Amino acid sequence: MNHRPSTIEDAPAHFSGLVEELERHFGSEGILAVQPTKDEITTVWVDTNRLREALRYLKSEIPRPFPMLFDLSATDERLRRNHDGLPIGTFTVFYRLFSFDRNQSVRIKVPLRDEHLSLPSVMDLWPNADWYEREIYDMFGIRFEGHPFLRRLLMPSWWNGHPLQKDHPARGTEMGRFQLPPEKLAMAQEALQFKPEDWGLARRHHDPDFDYMFINLGPAHTGTHGVLRLVTQLAGEEIIDIVPDIGFHHRATEKIAERQTWHTFIPYTDRVDYLQGVLNEMPYCLSVERLAGITVPDRAQVIRVMMCEFYRLASHLVWYGTFAQDVGALSPVFYMFTDRERIHAITEAICGGRMHPNWFRIGGVSQDLPIGWDKLVRQFVDYFPSRLDEYERLVMDNPIFRQRTVGIGAFTLEDAMAWGATGPMLRACGLPWDLRKVRPYSGYDQFDFEVPVGSHGDCYDRAVVHVLEMRQSLRIIRQCLEHMPDGPYKSLDPLATPPPKERTMQDIETLIHHFLGVSWGPVLPPGEAEVPTESSKGQTSYYLTSDGSQVSYRTRIRTPSFAHIQMVPFMARGALLSDLLAVLGSIDFVLSDVDR
Amino acid sequence: MRVWHNGRLEGASIRDGGDGSLTTVVGQSVLLAKLQDMLAWGRKNSLWPLNFGLSCCYVEMATSLTSVYDVARFGAEVVRGSPRQADVLIVSGTVFIKVAPIIKQLYEQMMEPRWVISMGSCANSGGMFDAYSVVQGVDKFLPVDVYMPGCPPPPHAFMECLLLLQDKVGKERRPLSWWFGPQEVRKPIMPSMRDAKREERVRRREYPTTDKLPRTDLLSPHFAGEFLDRPASQP
Repeated sequence: MNHRPSTIEDAPAHFSGLVEELERHFGSEGILAVQPTKDEITTVWVDTNRLREALRYLKSEIPRPFPMLFDLSATDERLRRNHDGLPIGTFTVFYRLFSFDRNQSVRIKVPLRDEHLSLPSVMDLWPNADWYEREIYDMFGIRFEGHPFLRRLLMPSWWNGHPLQKDHPARGTEMGRFQLPPEKLAMAQEALQFKPEDWGLARRHHDPDFDYMFINLGPAHTGTHGVLRLVTQLAGEEIIDIVPDIGFHHRATEKIAERQTWHTFIPYTDRVDYLQGVLNEMPYCLSVERLAGITVPDRAQVIRVMMCEFYRLASHLVWYGTFAQDVGALSPVFYMFTDRERIHAITEAICGGRMHPNWFRIGGVSQDLPIGWDKLVRQFVDYFPSRLDEYERLVMDNPIFRQRTVGIGAFTLEDAMAWGATGPMLRACGLPWDLRKVRPYSGYDQFDFEVPVGSHGDCYDRAVVHVLEMRQSLRIIRQCLEHMPDGPYKSLDPLATPPPKERTMQDIETLIHHFLGVSWGPVLPPGEAEVPTESSKGQTSYYLTSDGSQVSYRTRIRTPSFAHIQMVPFMARGALLSDLLAVLGSIDFVLSDVDR
Repeated sequence: MRVWHNGRLEGASIRDGGDGSLTTVVGQSVLLAKLQDMLAWGRKNSLWPLNFGLSCCYVEMATSLTSVYDVARFGAEVVRGSPRQADVLIVSGTVFIKVAPIIKQLYEQMMEPRWVISMGSCANSGGMFDAYSVVQGVDKFLPVDVYMPGCPPPPHAFMECLLLLQDKVGKERRPLSWWFGPQEVRKPIMPSMRDAKREERVRRREYPTTDKLPRTDLLSPHFAGEFLDRPASQP
């Protein structure tokens, strides 16, 4: 295997080109600054009053436009030490856009200086800005003018303060002992009452003899795959509208990242999407390595790829079984969980853990592969294809399954881009957009595999994409098995944490590094980096900001499930209530990935 | 149907055990017990969990329902969607401040007798999520019967804790009626597993290394057995 850099991002030619295009349109006074970043994503600072103009230009006027709002969040800059000559105010809001034509990202940053924290809403440009703006309001207290329902998204409505502001307590133990006396219980239950008027929904139909029915699904409902709440407005069995309520699984991972060292945050990434283990560690470690300038050895890269594909299979198997169960096939889940156990037998033999392996390290992986790993992996890749055939007969060819999913919850490619859909949701619409292929990382460009696509963008096509992807994962695992390179499993870079243990007893330098790296944590140079990866459910990325200390200044976690759950009302309007469960099952989401 | 004949059971053989005399057969087929004990035995062996999941732990709880682990062997596979029909609340995952009132409501909707298993570190104490949105342990607002360590606890740890709960339920004594006997619920004091297993853990000298794989054959018919032979919930 040839040596390749661990990521391939935008070429510097594009980098300068986009800035010039923006300058031609705005004049150089419209742009406050162009920020150099470690990930080489073009990062441009603009003023508040030019923001909408800049975003509209990038979305629809520029040649080869940026149709997708990939991420939108903010940073509290009040404690930042390294300003690097940037026009940093008290808060920064960043818009991360993506262009499929250019295969390029751009980040637009807006500094907010005055005490009146407010920006114009961009919901008219991108429908998915809705939840992102509500999240910023909830977490930072920044208001968006023109947003119709600017209210808390993740925290309960009665919460005081904005958690991601630097002066909000981070720990539960800082906030006093939790108590739930009857009056607090009554208050919280009252706050959960759904009032249709609050969401602009009519109780009465224009026909005077006819009232809408409101049905509350969740948060304790068996069909919502966890603590998700959907309030549906029904006319008979037809869904008129849905108001999702999320935040029942908000684990404050972004806040925790501001207190854990770069190294000790890795176990928290496992739990961001708890079904896909190391697939969460991949984008985080790649971003940290990009920030630190570490090159990962070949063997570590291939071990990472192999484990990622195993966890993709494990995650897809859970999706496969539960989706079939959601639409009424009760037995497939038993077969699929049995094979998931076989995968976990392998992950446990290699990583020592089942669901949360905590296996990647900054600069490599935790340990070398155990003796005899190849026998287990070979047994699995020989065995599994016939099982996939059987599952296809069991689920995909099942006439009831087809009736419940074909043509249900369909949307077009343009819709997918506008709503920020990625992963199988996007590929089911016909675009073969897989980051492993179009922006390879960790050596994926060295593997031979295909990107399966659907064509109708409905529930059945999403299932087809998932199922075909599992075969491609097997193909990648087989290549890892047959071409596993020799060499170290961890980089010798001084910032790789922890340094190889074998050497600590031999020389004092490594011992000191080991001690500091484990007890205090590595100090990463100031800068920003983000390396998006293709996880099991779509594109996940960790946008890291370092101000030169052993903890992250700000970690923004962009997860696919958040964008996908936001689409549920759009996908299910006009369908029957029973179709809603098929739509939810086909999305493949995890609540911890939605709320983080 | 077998018939009594001259005080002996027709066709009785050595295989049935005993000589087939009236005394022996009655001894074999009639269980004499206090009504209280019998009810406790019934409760113990048909625990119906509530189908309520919070986070990662729920996936492992659901895994224990599937074929490899098969919690039906312990009579606890009847997972109910409604709290009215369930008698065990398994708090499987992180208890968020936003979801705590809902858990409390579900608990209150369950009929007596009811029990609570706190599954995983988050539900036990907040675990690694000492964060503003997380309640530091479900026992801040619910009585907990069994605490299950692990993040997440693997399915065999789940089953071990289910057996511990069964033990507790079997020893619990409840009033038989409103009219007679003591009216209070007598809950047994169960020994701490940390103390009970201490000796065994101190004696343990061999730990798994990367030189030896825990399982070598994924396709053997004893695949499931290999899982269950392992000691559960290593500290």
